Amino acid sequence: MTKPTAATVATVATAPATPAENSHRRRWLAVLARASRAELEAGLLLAGTLPAIETVRPPEVGMTMLRGRVGGTGDAFNLGEASLTRCALRFAGGALGVGYTLGRDRRKAELVAVFDALLQDLSHSETLWRNVVEPLQLAQQARVEAASRAAASSKVDFFTLVRGEA
Amino acid sequence: MTAAAQHLKPGFADPVHDAQRAFRAALDALAQPGRRVDLGQSIPGLALSAAMAHLLLALTDDGSAVWWQDGGAATAQWLRFHTGAGVAPTPQAAAFASILEPAGMPALEAFTQGTAESPELSATLLIEVRSFNEGPALQWHGPGIANGCGVRLDGVPPGFWTHWQANHARFPQGVDVIFTCGAQALGLPRTTRVSRVAKA
Repeated sequence: MTKPTAATVATVATAPATPAENSHRRRWLAVLARASRAELEAGLLLAGTLPAIETVRPPEVGMTMLRGRVGGTGDAFNLGEASLTRCALRFAGGALGVGYTLGRDRRKAELVAVFDALLQDLSHSETLWRNVVEPLQLAQQARVEAASRAAASSKVDFFTLVRGEA
Repeated sequence: MTAAAQHLKPGFADPVHDAQRAFRAALDALAQPGRRVDLGQSIPGLALSAAMAHLLLALTDDGSAVWWQDGGAATAQWLRFHTGAGVAPTPQAAAFASILEPAGMPALEAFTQGTAESPELSATLLIEVRSFNEGPALQWHGPGIANGCGVRLDGVPPGFWTHWQANHARFPQGVDVIFTCGAQALGLPRTTRVSRVAKA
């Protein structure tokens, strides 16, 4: 007679992917989500002609809660909400590709999903990884390093030379 | 990539408007029992009728568990992907039930009946029937029906209507039913009285 709770609800069993596959996929999804739409469009040209797309979930905009930790180590707190766009699609008979990206760019979410589907397909994954994901990853690393170097060069260290009675 | 995810089918083609249309159809069906409502196109490749699929997509969310008569598997995975609805292990734990073979369905008492304080917590059953044009002639009476309404449902087991009388008597508790057939649906809320029409 009670309302069903999460505890009473059985989950649908699925065969999990191996940890190695998961971490590999997590890496390319992170790189793709950080790339700009123009970079992804350019990468798509390298993929050649694509089979017909079957859209499982059309791109849709929603919100996600961003969590933070004080100083990176303290207690978790809700920092605020950010808009998020997601999409899921598949090429005829292929694996399901998903795209999640911050912001409201529907086309970008779709492009991430296209790449995710292609990268799971063995006939495309090798070339796409080498020609699209790796260059994007290197460019992103370079941008992060340049930014942290610029910040480091302007860092001011305050310290006290002498204190107390002279 | 899992085998089940390989076979995930699409949901609503136009999520916002299709969901609104399906929800409106469900309201109409339960407000005017016995009247058929239309629910649009079927989803290609999905083992559910158009009406059943659209109602499940529009009505369920991550707080409403669905009991699947056939155990679910592929369709449960599909619904979970699109709405977040979980799978209820027993009819008692379900907010909604998807029944494709009414001949083998559990008794209506097996489903959540709601409580006297919260009758709205009872289950809503979606039952697929073979036809709305054949089967024994029934006369429906009750709120939302002006002068009685003739209904035919093909594929509903004979014992169902005896259980329905008990369900009606349990008001305000009791389950609600929406019959589906292809792209059409027909509501049977717990307030409706059903009588058999004697053969001439």
